[in-house]
Amino acid sequence: MRISFQEELDELERSLHVEGELVLRSLRGAVEAVCAQDLELADEVIVFDDDIDSQFFEVEQGIELLLARQTPVASDLRLVLAMLKDNLHLERMGDLCVTIAKLTKLTRGLPPDETLLEGFREMGERAEQMIRVALRSLEQRDRVAAESLLELDELIDRANRRIVNRLLDVGHELEQREWGLRMILVSRCLERIGDHAVDIGEQTAYLVTGEFREFTDASHP
Amino acid sequence: MTAMTEQASTIGPMSLAEIAKGHGDQGVTNRDAVFKVSDLSVSYSGNVAIRDVGLDVHKNAVTAFIGPSGCGKSTLIRCFDRMNDLVPGAKVEGEVLYHGKNLYGSDVDPVEVRRRIGMVFQKPNPFPKSIYDNIAFGPRVLGLKGKLEERVERALHRSALWDEVKDRLKESALGLSGGQQQRLCIARCLAVEPDVILMDEPASALDPISTTRIEDLMHELKRDYTIVIVTHNMQQAARVADMTAFFSVEVDEASGKRTGVLVEYDHTSKIFTTPADKRTEDYVTGRFG
Repeated sequence: MRISFQEELDELERSLHVEGELVLRSLRGAVEAVCAQDLELADEVIVFDDDIDSQFFEVEQGIELLLARQTPVASDLRLVLAMLKDNLHLERMGDLCVTIAKLTKLTRGLPPDETLLEGFREMGERAEQMIRVALRSLEQRDRVAAESLLELDELIDRANRRIVNRLLDVGHELEQREWGLRMILVSRCLERIGDHAVDIGEQTAYLVTGEFREFTDASHP
Repeated sequence: MTAMTEQASTIGPMSLAEIAKGHGDQGVTNRDAVFKVSDLSVSYSGNVAIRDVGLDVHKNAVTAFIGPSGCGKSTLIRCFDRMNDLVPGAKVEGEVLYHGKNLYGSDVDPVEVRRRIGMVFQKPNPFPKSIYDNIAFGPRVLGLKGKLEERVERALHRSALWDEVKDRLKESALGLSGGQQQRLCIARCLAVEPDVILMDEPASALDPISTTRIEDLMHELKRDYTIVIVTHNMQQAARVADMTAFFSVEVDEASGKRTGVLVEYDHTSKIFTTPADKRTEDYVTGRFG
């Protein structure tokens, strides 16, 4: 039994979940900032990304060291490879939260549309739920939970489409159109966070089954 | 039809997956079986060392046997050149076909078997003779045709030793380093033009650089020979082997007797990424015992 190896592997997985929790905090902050037009909170989200990034590097370096020193194979290798990719997905989610925060700052003083802001709250909650399901699927090696992300993704995609449709009716004033353009990107960021959660689910399925397959094939919509 | 278009038409209907299949180790199992082992059991004075083994060893591939001590992997490799014949009380049951011919048939000469199937051992064992005479010994005894010097030089080239020893062929082989001695033993094996090279822990007494040389050599040699290797070093199997067989030990609760069994035999890539048997998984990930 390789005790130190197992401990290092467990520690890496814990670090990855810590990173997941940080991303969830960032996401809540970003959605709140955009909905409440809270510029201070937007700034906090932007600064907070440094915490996510340093957690990302910690996991990345841990994996590098583990590969160099322990030569994992079989399910250990699959776990390490899955974590390597999940780490990147989480870091990207953090970046998308920063983009939402920056877009919030860019729309300062522009007239918001309340119905749309409600839509963002809904998308934010769905994205949060998806991250939780993705992290839990990894933690519990739960392939069924991982595959359920596909349905959750469909819901967030639909919400995204509703927002785009609504935006077409926001108004014709220059300020309204500018606000709308920025908000299309916010919607897109939330939808992308959902996609990254699905990708984490795919890694869980790979870890459990040993076979990689995309839940959806982007080339055949 | 030109050669070009013939080639294109062969590749044309193949899917990308099929083309990829031809590369790497996946195509190995399509090759002829040099050995076909079925229901093989070996016992020493009534104690069963290994039981009911069945596997094919494919041509021009490296096949590795891995497993814990006492799993019978060395016992099995010794069946391939009938070395167990030399052990008093040894009994071999079941079948080993070599190119379709029963290796244990009454008409088979074990000496001829050992010419076709060479063996390299854990500890380099050169004769206390010159480098040249070590290589020339086999061809001389067997009365092989062709110029002896050329044969010696060819064997030393093939074992990647020529440049290091060409100026001191008449010196004692015992003056070589451990790694050089092991390559000399491989050259000695090659000099009698074998078909198969068996290696029982060939690098476990060597330093890492010599080990790498031996591994490189296996990679080179498999183009012309079939190689079977027993190794304790799992990463070595992962590095050099196309196919890997994992053996384990079963302990009889009543008698406490230990018997080796074949647990899983597959492409090396499969054994080290997605093994099918939990026992293989536990062993390769180091969770065994």
